[in-house]
Amino acid sequence: MLRRILVTAVVTASFLCGAELGKYTPAERRHWAFQPRSNPDVPSFSAPADKAWVRSPIDAFILARLQKEGLKPSPPAGKATLLRRVYFDLTGLPPTPEQMAKFLADKSPTAYAKVVDELQASSAYGERWGQRWLDIVRFAESDGFEYDTHRPDAWRYRDYVIQSFNSDKSYDQFLREQLAGDEINPKNEVMRIAAGFQRLGALRKNGGNQDIAFNRNEVMVEMTNVIGSAFLGVTLGCARCHDHKFDPIRHTDYYRMQAFFAATYEKDVPLSTAAEQAAWKVKNDAAQIPLKALKDTMKGLTGEALSEVQRKVAELEVRGPAPLPALFSVADDAEKVTPVYVLARGDTQNRGPQVGMRPLGILLPEGTPELPKETKTPRAELANWILDPKNPLPSRVIANRIWQSHFGRGIVATPNDFGRMGTRPTHPELLDYLANQFIADGWKFKSLHRMILLSNTYQQSSQAAANEKDPDNTLLSKFPRRRLEAEEIRDASLAIAGKLNPKQGGPSVIIPIDPDLLSVMYNPAQWAVTEDPLEHNRRSVYLFAKRNFKLPFMDVFDAPDRQTSCARRESSTHPPQALELLNGDTANRMADALAERLVREAGKDKARQIDLAYQLGTGRAPTKKEKQIALAFLRKEPLREFALALFNLNSFLYVD
Amino acid sequence: MSEHVRYTRNRREFLCEAFCGFGALAYTSMLQAEGLNPLAPKTPPETAKAKSVIFLFMAGGPSHLETFDPKPLLNKLSGQKRPASFGEAKYQFINGDPRLLGTKRTFKRYGKSGIEVSDLFPHTAECIDDIAVIRSCQGDAVVHSAAQYQVMTGRVIPGFPSMGAWVMYGLGSESESLPGYVVIPDPNGAIEAGMPMYSNGFLPSIYQPTMMRSGTKPVLNLDLPKNVTLDTRRETLKLIRGLNQATLLPDDSELAARVNAYDLAFKMQTEAPAVFDLKSEPQETLDLYGVGKKPTDDYGRRLLLARRMVEKGTRFVCVVSGGGAATQWDAHDDIEENHLRMAAQVDQPISALLKDLKRRGLLDSTLVLWGGEFGRSPEAQGGKGRDHLSIGFSMWMAGGGIKGGQVVGATDDIGLRAIEQPHHFRDIHTTVLHQLGLNQDGLSFMHQGRRERITEVHGSVIEQIV
Repeated sequence: MLRRILVTAVVTASFLCGAELGKYTPAERRHWAFQPRSNPDVPSFSAPADKAWVRSPIDAFILARLQKEGLKPSPPAGKATLLRRVYFDLTGLPPTPEQMAKFLADKSPTAYAKVVDELQASSAYGERWGQRWLDIVRFAESDGFEYDTHRPDAWRYRDYVIQSFNSDKSYDQFLREQLAGDEINPKNEVMRIAAGFQRLGALRKNGGNQDIAFNRNEVMVEMTNVIGSAFLGVTLGCARCHDHKFDPIRHTDYYRMQAFFAATYEKDVPLSTAAEQAAWKVKNDAAQIPLKALKDTMKGLTGEALSEVQRKVAELEVRGPAPLPALFSVADDAEKVTPVYVLARGDTQNRGPQVGMRPLGILLPEGTPELPKETKTPRAELANWILDPKNPLPSRVIANRIWQSHFGRGIVATPNDFGRMGTRPTHPELLDYLANQFIADGWKFKSLHRMILLSNTYQQSSQAAANEKDPDNTLLSKFPRRRLEAEEIRDASLAIAGKLNPKQGGPSVIIPIDPDLLSVMYNPAQWAVTEDPLEHNRRSVYLFAKRNFKLPFMDVFDAPDRQTSCARRESSTHPPQALELLNGDTANRMADALAERLVREAGKDKARQIDLAYQLGTGRAPTKKEKQIALAFLRKEPLREFALALFNLNSFLYVD
Repeated sequence: MSEHVRYTRNRREFLCEAFCGFGALAYTSMLQAEGLNPLAPKTPPETAKAKSVIFLFMAGGPSHLETFDPKPLLNKLSGQKRPASFGEAKYQFINGDPRLLGTKRTFKRYGKSGIEVSDLFPHTAECIDDIAVIRSCQGDAVVHSAAQYQVMTGRVIPGFPSMGAWVMYGLGSESESLPGYVVIPDPNGAIEAGMPMYSNGFLPSIYQPTMMRSGTKPVLNLDLPKNVTLDTRRETLKLIRGLNQATLLPDDSELAARVNAYDLAFKMQTEAPAVFDLKSEPQETLDLYGVGKKPTDDYGRRLLLARRMVEKGTRFVCVVSGGGAATQWDAHDDIEENHLRMAAQVDQPISALLKDLKRRGLLDSTLVLWGGEFGRSPEAQGGKGRDHLSIGFSMWMAGGGIKGGQVVGATDDIGLRAIEQPHHFRDIHTTVLHQLGLNQDGLSFMHQGRRERITEVHGSVIEQIV
């Protein structure tokens, strides 16, 4: 009841405030996330067992907190479990039986550290960790909304992200390039591609009358909001219509942030020569002739007859000459700077005072003025402010994301929201320690991974029963088991079946789908399947990311919808997942391939086939009982059904 | 666009979200009900009148002026400019110097209530005393995609959960062998907003829609792969269960739920096809729905299917009339030709659905909602068509405790703007939830620092009809 009153009250209390520079109360400024990072002392221990367990400062912080609750860490995971864990974690793929055997045979104390280094150096690392960044920035290769027009050059941004992770680009550089690559060095292709970040949001276009101010505002809103969620961990978007209801972000703050994007417009930078463009125009003009003739036949048609012609038009349009390559990017246009007003209820018809550029007031001294209008490179200035070492947020936010990716849950469990409605950090000192360390090591992902992966905290067993004092294991008295993500399930199935095409980079792949599924697309002709069937078996990160159509396999296993930033995926369990893995096309094709592989590599002996299948799918040998059950099955039923069953085992679908 | 970022939660946190929404009593019952089936039915926090919803979605935007909102003055002013006293309207296409367009439809009073309905819906009109017509509906967008997102999800942008997903989140499913939230699209194709309009948005994928297709395989992955017999597959499932249980520790509810999901999946696979098969229906019922004759065969079949599913416990069915670009209610070129064609496909089946539900005693527990993403302009577009109009149009509700035989609100005398009791989509959503025993504030989900709900801004129950 109280809540209902509160909600009603805040709705009616929303009002437009003036364009004053905003005052922030001491209480607002005291919120933990806006405090400067501390330099916490690493807890020390005297008991020999504790000393022995604490391998890194991470362990010290974790152990101190566990002990405070009267809890103990778990014993270390077995070697095989640990290897499978770290393989999926860093590469999204399982270790091969050979890699497993080699690791088990390596008795040196540095065996595990060597694997960590090898995996971080493999190209699969960027393919795995790149996907995480693509989730956060809602990467898709089509516009969304009615036309869902494909963006034929958007894959270059995906490759940029993967390569940035693989080359261990420092995060400050990574952020700067995406925010302002075009301003920093417009001649550099990589910088241009990175700045395509500004265009990743959905884009609504419509025929007929254009509401120019509304459309422009929607584009700027997309550019603004993602800064809050991706880099700052604040729900900036909440202040679009009114002062933020819970955090010290004023309505005016929102539009002052938006002003940094007032000169930013989409820009496709051609990669073709003038001659190529002329040749393309000739081809395209020729293609327009039958198209126009067809369109002319539409006059007077209605209903299904008209639909039929429209379908043909759509198909012809898709079959026209492929667009010439270009860089999907942005550029500032000093002539067309959009005046930014504080908009009541976010409505362009409801203009309040005009405002200029200024970062979030809560992180500035009282009364900090707006930046001068003449600022030449507004987004580069914004990047400088975000990356100012005094800004407490970005390093905490990214350190928390890395932690979350390793442990399934962040130190702050709401990775895009460090505000009052977000959760408080479970280990605030550890978070600051990690953030400080991250900056000290030059904003390098791989150093932070290494520190985490080599800790005893990470190497614990996951097997302990749920503990009443910490039922959700937020304090990490054991390693948190997790279900594989959608891409991991598909990629691992391909790998286990021996079908994974390891090719890296390049244009995205459109895979064949059940013809009935095409009917859920408004323009099915857009789904032009990639011809080479070998391409269909590439890693999921290279599959075409269409905004208005999720592959059912991905959808059912909680892949994000690419409409808004996804900071952490769901991990649900329900019957349609079982139906996908039992009856779906991918699972059945891979079951056939795996069955062939088992015969090829293990011969006709059923016991050996079972051993190999378990090694491939679960990273371990089958138990006696499992082997008995499987043997009994294979006496009567086909091997491909046993292979299919493997993809349906908890021991395959979960990482311990 | 406001940025809404999902963060996930484990089962306990997830239930706690529901707990915060539903009140303390519900928490325990949910924990028990959830057990091994994440979609087990939940008791709503308030008294429920309806258990299921069938949304008859008329894609493209049917004209209120040709259907449920007679405007004699419009016919008188036909060919003239809109008098300034009626104010301004935003259109997607009409510009310049448009003229009002009268309607060729005739209206008659039906039932005890004497509500006027046009000659496009003579069959539906027979049920008018069960129907509450809301003549004062409003939305915010005059382009299809944005308006379709809004009627389904409450927002003009994609990325938010649809009504069906919210309802599943609040109530779970009554059926273990059928999907709980089903969309039956028009076989002519998808509509502008595409899949995101039906989706679970930031809610977990448990609440995703099941899309029914028109071919021989109505639900994806419900059929056995080629060359696999049911007997073999039964053995495979035993194998999966045996192997999974071999490693299952006691008290591991998460993995136990996954083992159970296979039983539910197989139940669905073996039991659902019988529900999808209309052959067991008597000829009289088939005739009632217009199955087997043009132009009602397709929509008739789909509505009969909807009834069969609701009867077996499906919670939310959206049956779309209109698909592809030219086979919708989107009458830009010729309102006459388009609406005669579209209405002829749906009128008899809709009437049949209402009558059939009623005689089976299902109408009381099934809320039927009818409408499009907007209405159509009183002005002509290109001579004899009508453009999109979002500030005044009609929807209706029947069954599920709705008090029929009533008209709610009114548009002005040319049908341009809702002037009496305007009801935004959020009021429609609020009213649907209310009949199901849910309320908009309780049915919320913590998402990127905001307690999201379907209505965004607070909606009101349309008290007159509940």
